[in-house]
Formats: sequence, C-alpha cells, structure tokens
Amino acid sequence: MDLLKRAGEKAEAAELYVEHRDGTTVTFDGGDLETVKSESVVGQALRLIVDGKLGFAATTGRKADGLLEAALVSAQHGDPAPFAFPNSGEQASLGVYDCEVAELADDTLITWGEEAVKAILGEFPDVQVNVHLGRGKITVSVGNTSSAQRKEERTYLMMGVDAEWVRHDDIYSVHSSQTVRAAKEFDREALVADVLRQLRWGKDVAPTPTGEQRVLFLPAATPVVLLPLIVGFSGMSVFLGTSPLKDKVGEEVFDKRFSLVDDGRIHLGPRSSSFDDEGIPTARLPLVENGVVRGYFHDLRAAALTGTEPTGNGFKGGLLGGGFRTPPSASPRHLVVSPGDGGLDDLLREMGSGLIAQNVLGLGQGNIASGAFSNNVIGYTVREGKVVGRVKNTMIAGNAYDLLKKGLQDLGGESEWVFGMVHTPPLLFGDVSVVTR
Amino acid sequence: MENRVREAIARARADFVEVRWDEVAWSRVAFQRDQLMALEQSKEVGGLVRALVGGAWGVALLTDMAELPTQVEEATRLARMAAQHVIEPTQLADVPVEEERHLSELKEDCRSVPLSRKRAQAEEYNKLIMGYSPEIVSTAVRYTDTFRKSLYANSEGTFVYQELPDVTLLLAAVARRNGDIQQAFETIGAAAGYELVRGQEEKAEAAAKRAVDLLSAEPVKGGTYTVILDQQLAGVFIHEAFGHICEADFLFRNPHMREVMKLGRRFGADVLNVVDDGYIPGARGNAPFDDEGVRRQKVYLIREGVLSGLMHSRATAHKMGMDPTGNARAISWEHEPIVRMRNTFIEPGEATFEEMIKDVDHGIYAKAAFGGQTMFEQFTFSAGYAHEIRHGEVGPMVRDVVLTGNVFHILQNIDMVGRDFELIGGSGGCGKGGQSPLPVTDGAPHVRVHEVTIGGR
Repeated sequence: MDLLKRAGEKAEAAELYVEHRDGTTVTFDGGDLETVKSESVVGQALRLIVDGKLGFAATTGRKADGLLEAALVSAQHGDPAPFAFPNSGEQASLGVYDCEVAELADDTLITWGEEAVKAILGEFPDVQVNVHLGRGKITVSVGNTSSAQRKEERTYLMMGVDAEWVRHDDIYSVHSSQTVRAAKEFDREALVADVLRQLRWGKDVAPTPTGEQRVLFLPAATPVVLLPLIVGFSGMSVFLGTSPLKDKVGEEVFDKRFSLVDDGRIHLGPRSSSFDDEGIPTARLPLVENGVVRGYFHDLRAAALTGTEPTGNGFKGGLLGGGFRTPPSASPRHLVVSPGDGGLDDLLREMGSGLIAQNVLGLGQGNIASGAFSNNVIGYTVREGKVVGRVKNTMIAGNAYDLLKKGLQDLGGESEWVFGMVHTPPLLFGDVSVVTR
Repeated sequence: MENRVREAIARARADFVEVRWDEVAWSRVAFQRDQLMALEQSKEVGGLVRALVGGAWGVALLTDMAELPTQVEEATRLARMAAQHVIEPTQLADVPVEEERHLSELKEDCRSVPLSRKRAQAEEYNKLIMGYSPEIVSTAVRYTDTFRKSLYANSEGTFVYQELPDVTLLLAAVARRNGDIQQAFETIGAAAGYELVRGQEEKAEAAAKRAVDLLSAEPVKGGTYTVILDQQLAGVFIHEAFGHICEADFLFRNPHMREVMKLGRRFGADVLNVVDDGYIPGARGNAPFDDEGVRRQKVYLIREGVLSGLMHSRATAHKMGMDPTGNARAISWEHEPIVRMRNTFIEPGEATFEEMIKDVDHGIYAKAAFGGQTMFEQFTFSAGYAHEIRHGEVGPMVRDVVLTGNVFHILQNIDMVGRDFELIGGSGGCGKGGQSPLPVTDGAPHVRVHEVTIGGR
C-alpha cells in the first residue's frame, strides 16, 4: 500500500479503498447464448484530510496515476471534514467466500442457462426466455493512516431470468432473480419455478378489482413500501430533516407486528461483508421492534453530524452498487422483515378477494421521502382466495407510512430474498387505492 | 496508442474483433443543505474487447493498455467456447468502413474551469434555494461534467476517435411543514461547456418555490383524465411509451413481437411524428458514431401516425434485413453496446396551448418529470407536479401525479400536438440492461392526450 503511505506524507490523514472485480457473465437472449464476458477490473478511491479539509478522488487501474494529486486538489477546495478516519476495532470475520463459486467453470454457467431455457420452454413453448448469469469475486481492501488495512475476498453468484409472452397485442413479461455468495444457497429450481408460477398465474387477463382494495405485496413488490423506509432510516436524512422518522426513536410509528432489522452480519448473506467501505465492522441493527422505532443507520459522516457512533453502514454506490467511483454514504445492508405465520395459500384465503402485486413499474419515481407511492402494478386478481388472472393498465397508490401503521392486515410466514438485499415475507394491506383504465 | 490498437486487432484470430478504449475525465460537486457531499475531479481509463467467433460474442475488459493483446486472446477464447452452444449464429449487417476523428467544439471547456469555481457556483445555487423560505429544510444541488475520449477500431478497418462532452446541473429543494415533506427540482444537461451552468438562478428559485407550493397542494384524485403534458413530460412520455419498444434488440429474436411491431402499422393519428436522431448540436444524447463505429442515422419511428422505423445495432439489423442506425451504445468502457435511444422527440405540430386547453372541462396539466419506466406494452411516467384543468383553465396545483398507459391505445389518444417544441437534456439519463444512466435527450411540444389513467385515491 505504497499509495496510502505517500498520501500520509502529504496529508494529515488518508484512506485508500481498492476494489478488484474478477468474474464472468453469460447472457442468453431469445433462448440462445449470445455473449460470454470476463472482467478483471481494478478501481481505487482516495480520501484525504489536509488542513482539516476533506478531499476525494477515484480512478481505475493498479497504478492509479494522478490519484493522489487529484485528491489533493479536492481537499484544497473542500470543507472541514466532519469526521476522522477511525482506528476501528476488530470483529470476527463473516462467511463471505465460497470456493465452489470462485472455481465455478464458465461452461457450468452456460449449462445452467440452457437448462433454465429448456425448463421454461417445456411448459410455455411460445415465450421468449432471456437469462443472465454471473459469478466471480470482489476483493476489497480499506485502509487508513490510523488503522490497519482490512482486506476481504467476497464471492457472488447471480442468475436472472426474463420471460416474455406475446400474444397479438398482449405482452406479458415476467422476471425473477437470485443473488447469493455460496453455491449451496443457490436454488435454480426455485428460480425457474417462480418464473413458471408467474406465467401460469398470468395466462389469462382478468378484470381489475377497483376502489379501496386488499393488496397482497409479494416479496418482489415490497420495495414499494420499504424504499421510503430506506430514506427514512438513513442517518443522513435524519440529520438533514428530510426523514419523517426524525425524533421518533422510542415511538410506536408502525403496526405492532412490524419489525425490521438491517442485518449486516448474516452468514453468507448476499450483501454480507465483515466491514463496510469505511473499514467499520458491520453490525446487526434493529430499526423497528414491534412497531417502535429503535434507531437509524449511519456512515462516518452521518454519525459525526448527529453525534452518534457509526453503525457500519458506509457503502459506496448506494443501493444499486456502482462501487469505487463514489464516496461512501449511509445505506442499508440487508433489510430483514420479521415474518408472521402461514403460507401463501393461507394469506389468499384470508384475503378472499383483492389484488396480488407481483412487482411494479416506476419504483422510486416520486416523492419517496413522504412515503407516497403510485405505481403501475404487474399482478393478479384474486377471488374467493384463488388467483383468477392477470391485471393490466392498473395503478395502485397510497402512503407507505400510513399502510405500515394502519393498513397492515397480515404478514406471511415464508420469507424470500429479493433484489439481493431484502428478506421479507409477503405483506397483506387493506385500503390500497386501485384504479384502472 | 493507436498503433497498439491496430496491431492487437491485426493479430486477432476471430471472425471479427473490435476494441474500444476510453479516457474519461469528470468532475462533480454536490451539496445537501449545508453539507458538501462531493467535490472531485477524477480521471480513469478502460477498454473493452469484443470478438465474434462462429456467431457468438466473447467480451473482455481491461484497465491497462499493456493487457490489450492478452485480452484480445481472452475475448476470442470466450467466443470460441460460446460458439459451441449457439443455435442461431449472430451475424453483423454490412456497414461502410469509417476512418474519422470527431472533435468537440466547446465555448468554455469544463476541463479548463478550476474546481473552486464549480464549487462556488453550486454553492451559490444552494444558498439561493436554502434562503428562499424557512420551510425549505434541505437541498440537493449537483453539478457534473464528463469528457469522454473514445477510440473505436475493428477488424474491418474502421477507426473512429470521438470526444463526447457532457455537463449537467440538478437543483432540488425539499420543503417540510409539520409531518409533510415535498420536493421539487429543475435540471439541465447538454453536450456543452461550462457556459450551460452559469446564470441559472431562476431555475434554482423555481425549484424552491415549487417545493413550498407543493406543501399546499392536494394529492391528485385517481382516475382517467384528459391530460396536457408539458414539453419535458411529453418527451419522457414518448421515450417510455414508444421509444423502448422500438429498440430492435427486444424483438429481433421474437417472431411474435416482430409481428406486433411490423413497419406500416398505425399507432397514432396523422398529427404524430416521432424521431430518434443521433446528432443535434449540443444535445446530450449525441452519438456521432455509435459504439460499433456506425455513423448516425436519423430514424423516423413514427411518420404521420404510422410505424416507420426501428433502432438497430449491426446484429439486429442483419437479422431483420434492415440497415444499422447507429443506436448501439454503451454507458462506459465496462459495457458492451446494446440498442439505445439518443435524442428522441415528437416533432412540433400546429396547436397552441390555448387551443388545447379551452374545451377540456376537467383534466390534468402535468409538468416536469421524475422519470418513467416501461415494460413493453405498459409504461408509467411521473410528473414533477401538475395542475387541475377546470372549465378550460389551469386550476389549483396537485401532487403525486403518476400516469400510466398502454402503447396500443395511448398514441391514438393524442389528438393535439403543439407548436412550442423543446428538446430537453436533464441531469439523469436512461437505464436498460444494467447500464444506467446513459445521457439522452427527450423532446416534444405540449401534447394533449385523452383517457390517461392516473393513480390515486
């Protein structure tokens, strides 16, 4: 870590983040293998404190020519650093590496893709199937001038399947994906079964039940109500005054049955790491316990500004990743909603009639901070506890905070991972506004 | 550099090979309330090799030019492995061999403006917004500039060097009254220089005023309305409603989808003309050459209401027996090109705003855009804010306006197209296939659409 040493000579304090991504992706389009891609990319980011002021710069490649000079220019014109780079304590390493994934052959990915295509076409010969598979490892090291360098190799394995079913002017598109760290957590059969279930449920178009309806959000649709909470529980939003949850610690803001944890310590969890992108050990952080707000997640900046301790939630690139090019910010790791009990069939029976939200269009495109949502829903009509068909041209609208306080009717007992970061059961809400054309 | 690329390509043992090498310089300034969240000027390099063997692609990335020969071999090896599994081999449509340098011409090159000045400018806008009202609790002011030097070469002899500038400004305000939180923003973006971001005080104040005004606005009542869209939202509308479905990579392998999107099919009324253009001076979506080295074409997607063209890469064009259009774009050297939009717009018509609104008894005038998303047939787009239309006049402000539509109906419901055209490059971009945000522009005049569904109570 020559660069960090050189930086330490020019600055009071310095922090170097180095990310090495090494992996393979395989893409099938229209059921046919299209591309095999390998990547081996190094990205680096340097933060400095010079005369008390914070600077940042990023670049690609091992040599990182010009990175120190760029960070010095940034620091020269920067603001006083609200935090210091910490000498953070050690915590036991988490399981984040799987030899089987690291050594998985490219041919195996191709075979898995071919098998998924075959399984779906076997039942629905007229759909177009696109498959995306990826495996690899990301090596991250974070070090600063007052703490030892931390380094970790993390493996990942992902598979996403799209199926498009076109019948004249009726186009139905379904999607399912899985992201895991270890091969034994990977369940290809479940992924294919999920795609087939969506195709079966959506075979026929059914009238939309309109007005104030019971809506069952399957796990892939729950970000409609969870995304506002990601903004609300951010220590930075709390500091800025843009969180409705500001000053609410200890208050019962949600339904008593609703509990939410940001758990960064899940063994082999899809986004698990032993430390965050600022070198702080990750933690298990209760956000809501039985409806009561318990805390917020913080990176170094948010913690310093709100006079508290960092929670190991300083991540680069925000929710969707993007890595080394951006400075860390306060972001959740794994959002885990406590399940209720009962299977999907029990929820459907309880629901009687209403709407199932499989997923939505336009997620996050609105005033998320307030909790308001209004989305086109890809979903199904339910009558007498049975799925009768797929809805079209249908909008659901409401407010996440209101629904999680007064509208929660039940939580399912079976949780699923979605988007590689949310672990939740289906959530049944009453009084969701549903309109259609 | 150029010689190393030519040499590596000459040695390649693939049916076809291409190399793209990018040098990117960017700077970024971001404020939230009193916090300077980002201040930087950084540089990076990177490249992508794509090899075609037996109708399958192999792709390899590199961040060090010295790795080019080995990565050409790696891409070839991957393509050879993939070729053993391919059912219908990918083939490329013929295109002319190009040898050209496209240099940017900027009034005030952002690279020569000191970071301190960019910071001072962003800070001034930030202060304007914060100082507008005590109900403004926070801001998001973000300045970015990017200068991408992109070198493209392939084994057919094409060799193109391009300079692609991009500059954006986001001016967002967050207002709070009791528990209610509202936000509003203005954005600008162009393939231009620093001159774009100076003198935008009015936009900063407009964002602040609107955030405060939204605190007094009621949520829109859900239902089906006659809607007038302003230029920005009409631009996002045509991008989502129709642009994406005209990207040929969605349909070239799908015979059912190709039948649905057959050229000559009527989608809208005679007043409707929709274009995707690869080059308009200063526009964010410009791609003088695409990332397959194909010279830009201006594509009429809809001419007088009838589907008249699609956007293509070389592979989709070959499969469908069409000409490539220069729409194969990649957001960066980390990605292979896919079919994307550039500058997409509804051509101006004849109507005035007064003519559009006068006979609308109860409707919505929807303005500005949070964004949109499409899933082929259905799509949504979110307005930044809106007003009710009552008895032919603009009425009170409403909020949380998200509109949805169905591509097979909605374009037929456009009955008036305005004469007040604007092309708008915001501060965001388009996302597809894990590549986001890609600089694009959308454009339109005011447009009137009947029977648009809006979510709400």
